[in-house]
Amino acid sequence: MSAIRRLPLVLGTAIAGFAVLVAILGPMLVPHDPFTQNLAHRFVPPEWLPGGSPAHPFGTDQLGRDYLARLVLGVRISLMIGLTAVVLSGLIGTTLGVIGGYFGGWVDAVVMFIVSCRLAIPIILVALTVVFLVGSSLTVVMLTIGLLLWERFAVVSRSATRQVASRDYVAAAWCAGCSRRSIVLGEILPNIVHHLIVVATVDMAIAILLAAALSFLGLGVPPPMPDLGLMIAEAKDYMFFKPWVIEIPGLALFVLVLGINLLGDGLRDLLGGESGG
Amino acid sequence: MSVAIEASGVSAVFDQRVGTFGVHRRVVAVDDVSLTVKEGIALGIVGESGCGKSTFARLLLGLLAPSGGDVRVGGHELQAMDRRARARLIQPVFQDPASSLNPRRRVGEIVALPLRAAGVARGERRERALLMLSRVGLAPEMAGRYPGQLSGGQRQRVAIARALVLEPRILICDEPTSALDVSVQAQILNLLAELRASFNLTLVMISHNLAVVEHVADEVAIMYLGRVVERGEAGSVFAAPRHPYTKALLASVLTPEPGLGLPELPLGDAVPDPANIPAGCRFHPRCPAAIARCATEAPARGDVECHLVQPVPT
Repeated sequence: MSAIRRLPLVLGTAIAGFAVLVAILGPMLVPHDPFTQNLAHRFVPPEWLPGGSPAHPFGTDQLGRDYLARLVLGVRISLMIGLTAVVLSGLIGTTLGVIGGYFGGWVDAVVMFIVSCRLAIPIILVALTVVFLVGSSLTVVMLTIGLLLWERFAVVSRSATRQVASRDYVAAAWCAGCSRRSIVLGEILPNIVHHLIVVATVDMAIAILLAAALSFLGLGVPPPMPDLGLMIAEAKDYMFFKPWVIEIPGLALFVLVLGINLLGDGLRDLLGGESGG
Repeated sequence: MSVAIEASGVSAVFDQRVGTFGVHRRVVAVDDVSLTVKEGIALGIVGESGCGKSTFARLLLGLLAPSGGDVRVGGHELQAMDRRARARLIQPVFQDPASSLNPRRRVGEIVALPLRAAGVARGERRERALLMLSRVGLAPEMAGRYPGQLSGGQRQRVAIARALVLEPRILICDEPTSALDVSVQAQILNLLAELRASFNLTLVMISHNLAVVEHVADEVAIMYLGRVVERGEAGSVFAAPRHPYTKALLASVLTPEPGLGLPELPLGDAVPDPANIPAGCRFHPRCPAAIARCATEAPARGDVECHLVQPVPT
């Protein structure tokens, strides 16, 4: 029973941890440069397929670049986008949500109006406009997603704050002479942070998928930078002839997002109680 | 004796609306209550659930701004007070210590929180928090525990320690024992009585439990649907209640004699609703002694608000 319940956490931690390790250490361990083209060695199949060679364990792509090196760098870039977007959107969303939930009244109404406005904005269209106006780069992708993906943080932190703010320990802190700021930082935030961690994992998975979608549409990370979405986009022309070029980044994206989501589920179960300690 | 708390004409009115198109309800939780508490006195406020006594406690603490009237504590208007000065003057003990202690803080931090807000240095904070813990009968090693690791009685002791660490002059206790086991209730009450004497506290004890109030209070105020219907010196109110509601409340106290069964209440089944306060005397639909005048005319303001009770000439 408990082993099955803990499976998401264990599996999620393993996958996400492995992805982080790959992102940090991978580019140092892979002997090939992810940008070096070698047109004489285009579409070398992965090691386990006929014609594969141990020199390129995951084969090479249409320009003869080592696929493992590109995949490892792609995971790093996807994780970077996910982390930055989550930190940025977490700051925006939590600030708005806690302010709305704690002060209530018209402040809350304004916050909810801003959230509704945000929900009415289609991210892909905004990204399209931004890329058209300022050009695409890694920074632009991270900022666009981070500045647009905060509504879940806002909604969750708002309702959690409302719940916590009605607790007597918040009233007691007020009676103790604490400022509003220290009540929010010392009494409310520590008691809603477990909700926010779960939201962070969900949003991180969404951000990574969104970045991949943007890259796939040509609006994201500019080539030759290998983002997982961009690798899929570049591979789609060859997918009927060389299926591994799309299978490998596709599977990597799937496993990465699955791992982050499992981690979120596991953390929700782990941190759900209010036992503290 | 100087006056510690002076509530004059205090009201708390809540506008409730269920959904955007829901029925609008105007809930009058506290209705134009004037009450003074002299320094050093223990006042007990008694009433059924929903009579507005907890709302009144929140008004006295400044947690809730009154819809009308004002509360003065130690001569200052509560709503206009600096938060640090207010914290040094008046502190709460809430009903449920499971909800009044931040589960993410250690006991030592919880007790030291008022000191931190007051700007006391870290070393002194720790020293005074530990001293306060020993005053409420908790061992120093409790300081490192989280509230979740404590029993209900221990948690309430922590809440009391936090309330008294700034050495305030007034303590507002909102049902401080009703969430506790019966065996622990007496310990907490005795602790409060002992600390009241050594800290020279003015105490406001809010409870639905008459035995608790009788044990602690010098004066009592009986609340019914947002108003104080009878007030006076505790001994005389308990010995000779004058308002029919007070009489019914006192008659409803369970006796330890098992043979007597549940007490008969002459109040009927109508549950009082603060969103729909009856005209005239607000108690008349349930009053066993009501006369025709009670349904139309509100009784005169005074220590006992009832048509059937002649005002005592002062």
